Amino acid sequence: MAPAAAAVEVGQRMPDFRLTNSSGEIVQLSDFAGRTVVLEWNNPGCPFVQRHYGSGNMQALQREARADGVVWLTINSGAPGRQGFMRGPAANGFVSRENASPSHYLLDPRGVVGRAYGATATPEMFVIDGSRVLRYNGAIDDAPRARESETRSANSYVRAALADLDAGRAVRTRETRPYGCSVKYSDAS
Amino acid sequence: MRFLFARLLTVLAVLLALGAGQPGFAQVTTENAIKTALVAETRAPAPGDSFTIAIRMRPDQGWHGYWLNPGEAGLSDSFEWTLPEGVTIGELRYPVPERLVIGGIMNYVYEGEYALLADVTLAEDIAPGTAVPLRASGQWLACTDEICVPESGDLALDLRVGSGGAEASEQFDAWRASLPRPLGSEARFEVADGTLRIAIPFPAEAGIAAPYFFSATDRVLDYSAGQRVSRNGDTLIVEVAAAGDAATIGRIEGLLKIGDHDGLLLTAAPGDVPAAGTVIADAQRLDSPAMNAGIGTILLALGGAIVGGMLLNIMPCVFPILSLKALSLAKAGGSASGARQDALAYTAGVVLVCLGLGAALLTLRASGAAAGWAFQLQDPRMILFLLLLVTAVALNLAGLFELPSLVGGGRLAGRDGATGSFFTGALAAFIATPCTGPFMAAALGAALVVPPVVAMVIFGGLGLGLALPFLALAYVPALRDRLPKPGPWMERFRHLMAIPMFLTALALGWVLGRQTGVNGMTLGIAAALGIALALWWAGSRQVAGKRVWPPIVPAAMIAVAALFAVPGDMLSAPGNEVEAGVLDAEPFDEARLSELRAEGRPVFAYFTADWCITCKANEAGALARADVAEHFAAHDVAVLVGDWTTGDARIGRFLESHGRTGVPLYLYYAPGEEPEILPQILTPGRLTSLPS
Repeated sequence: MAPAAAAVEVGQRMPDFRLTNSSGEIVQLSDFAGRTVVLEWNNPGCPFVQRHYGSGNMQALQREARADGVVWLTINSGAPGRQGFMRGPAANGFVSRENASPSHYLLDPRGVVGRAYGATATPEMFVIDGSRVLRYNGAIDDAPRARESETRSANSYVRAALADLDAGRAVRTRETRPYGCSVKYSDAS
Repeated sequence: MRFLFARLLTVLAVLLALGAGQPGFAQVTTENAIKTALVAETRAPAPGDSFTIAIRMRPDQGWHGYWLNPGEAGLSDSFEWTLPEGVTIGELRYPVPERLVIGGIMNYVYEGEYALLADVTLAEDIAPGTAVPLRASGQWLACTDEICVPESGDLALDLRVGSGGAEASEQFDAWRASLPRPLGSEARFEVADGTLRIAIPFPAEAGIAAPYFFSATDRVLDYSAGQRVSRNGDTLIVEVAAAGDAATIGRIEGLLKIGDHDGLLLTAAPGDVPAAGTVIADAQRLDSPAMNAGIGTILLALGGAIVGGMLLNIMPCVFPILSLKALSLAKAGGSASGARQDALAYTAGVVLVCLGLGAALLTLRASGAAAGWAFQLQDPRMILFLLLLVTAVALNLAGLFELPSLVGGGRLAGRDGATGSFFTGALAAFIATPCTGPFMAAALGAALVVPPVVAMVIFGGLGLGLALPFLALAYVPALRDRLPKPGPWMERFRHLMAIPMFLTALALGWVLGRQTGVNGMTLGIAAALGIALALWWAGSRQVAGKRVWPPIVPAAMIAVAALFAVPGDMLSAPGNEVEAGVLDAEPFDEARLSELRAEGRPVFAYFTADWCITCKANEAGALARADVAEHFAAHDVAVLVGDWTTGDARIGRFLESHGRTGVPLYLYYAPGEEPEILPQILTPGRLTSLPS
């Protein structure tokens, strides 16, 4: 009965959450208080996600962000039996195969966090500041229809938001329409 | 092996289709889940012509494509055109989309074949015989409930400048019919307490089913939130949870869906929105269709139906039956158990008839017929049957003849005890339906947009409400004690009760006349007279203690014969009816137009639709004026009216050829002159000053 998309607004303090990561450890958002956090909604079966991993664009963004001390949480809200659903070992396999470097790959098979944050698409990105206030929500870049080779040259909203936060500026593009596949939530919840 | 064979067949079929030279078919992309093809209405457009082309999208089974606003997820299409010099193309027009909720995410999609239409215009100076290669590079998203694939394809179509034509117009007319039509008047919106409220001009009398507002503008409303739609006079009000930009945006574009494949395109500007009116749709958050019917909604609908049913008891066609049934209780001397048995049987009769009518209505709806409540009254034979029945009941009340147990009309309803009560209830519910129309239309309209189970609950509730006063009398002895003592006054009361019943018969006669004309109405009255004479005779034999059946048999035969004689179809379907009081008009037809012009008569042609408020305002304010009618009559102006309520493709094409995408359109053809397009706001003065 939970609503699909809770109304989250940029500038709002985001709810805390707790999820199991791909190695079976509990990860809580408030553990990272004081640090900038990027949430990346992931579905390895989605062609739009594949494009960003296949081109190395997502991995590059992850490395850059983490080098600057940003926490990167990749979240999978796919329900069991639906496209992209993974258990811990499969998720670890995905991370190592893609040479990805999130701080954690989190499993949200019941879609609780995805729905609370109103995530609708993969890839959909959230940038949260040290006091857990949402600073950016939306698409990863401005090129929904780009081909793989063009992905790297697209204008990355996430990179820009992180740079703005780092420089202590207001984020210029605060909200965009996410593009990609719909998050494969469970129908019953 | 079989699969391979099937594949070969497909390829063969495609080749054949190409070879057979189907109008304008070109390249077919086969590897995508959504097959696309570029099609033109003509292969040989003339210089200076504007013609329609279509991008035909054919999703594989289980796949869907997206509307121009895909909803909460997904991606809209993109087509980039490469056109030769002297050729321009307009915006793509999308058909009315459907909603698809997957895992709680709202998608605006097309599940079957659909076509995106655009108008191509050739320059005047392009030489006949010139090749016109049309090329487009397209990208679109194809999804199933499970997976999404971004697809792309190159579309090509080669035309040659020729003499014009429209070889594929049938196919294109079908596609045009699924396009939304421009509303014509501007809507307004406001944001109040986080709710986006949109006021859409929509005539009070225009029909609408399962309304839903598709916003083309992103980030103004919550796609998966339920929409509450109500009608307040000539305004339709949509209320839905607002999103991000709603409070600051200067303009909202979108599509109001008013039927399965009917939609109206509209633009809303910030402004005042009137208070909500009669609610015609109120969806809960659309997590999944089954959740629409929350238990609260069901209870609310049930409550409304019960109250509505109770109100029906005081309708002129029901009150006599009910009151006399109630008095028969008093007469019975108040045996409590007998009264209860009677009441339960009566309730069963009422509820079963209501459920039966409801079930029949839902079945008709499901099979696609445009049935409304009291749908049975659309058949003149049913009206005539009711007319005769009501006349008989009225004559009985008036004391012309007696039935063994005085309760109402009909032999079965006259039986003693529980069976008699059951049929009295059934009769009351059945006769009540003509009275429900105007009062219950809105509530019953709502019943048709909710899931069938809830709709049946509403129909059942209506019956329960109708039976409730009688149940109360039976189960609350105190109420029964307050009934007046039986006495000679009861006979007089019964005679008085014949008056509302005769009035009901009069109303039915009027309906019959509207449906079948003077002849049908006269036939109905004659049949009623025959029945009355037979019953009169039967009554006098009754008093004399003789058998009553000799006069009853011919009376029944008269009734049956009349039922066969009356035409089963109405004179004109309500939608095509030309309003009396407006000009003496004929339905629009291009052949008729050329005929009239050939005769040298001036012609005034106007195009209207029930949902078009500007049209209705013009009709009331200018076209219906007596001075206009006089002027037209004096100058022998022929009037043609095109009704575009249901999106008639021939009218749509005619509008397009006059540079309009919607109604109203007013054209005046002075003899031998080019047509003059009159302004969209008509004044009587403008019409009376037309040259002739």
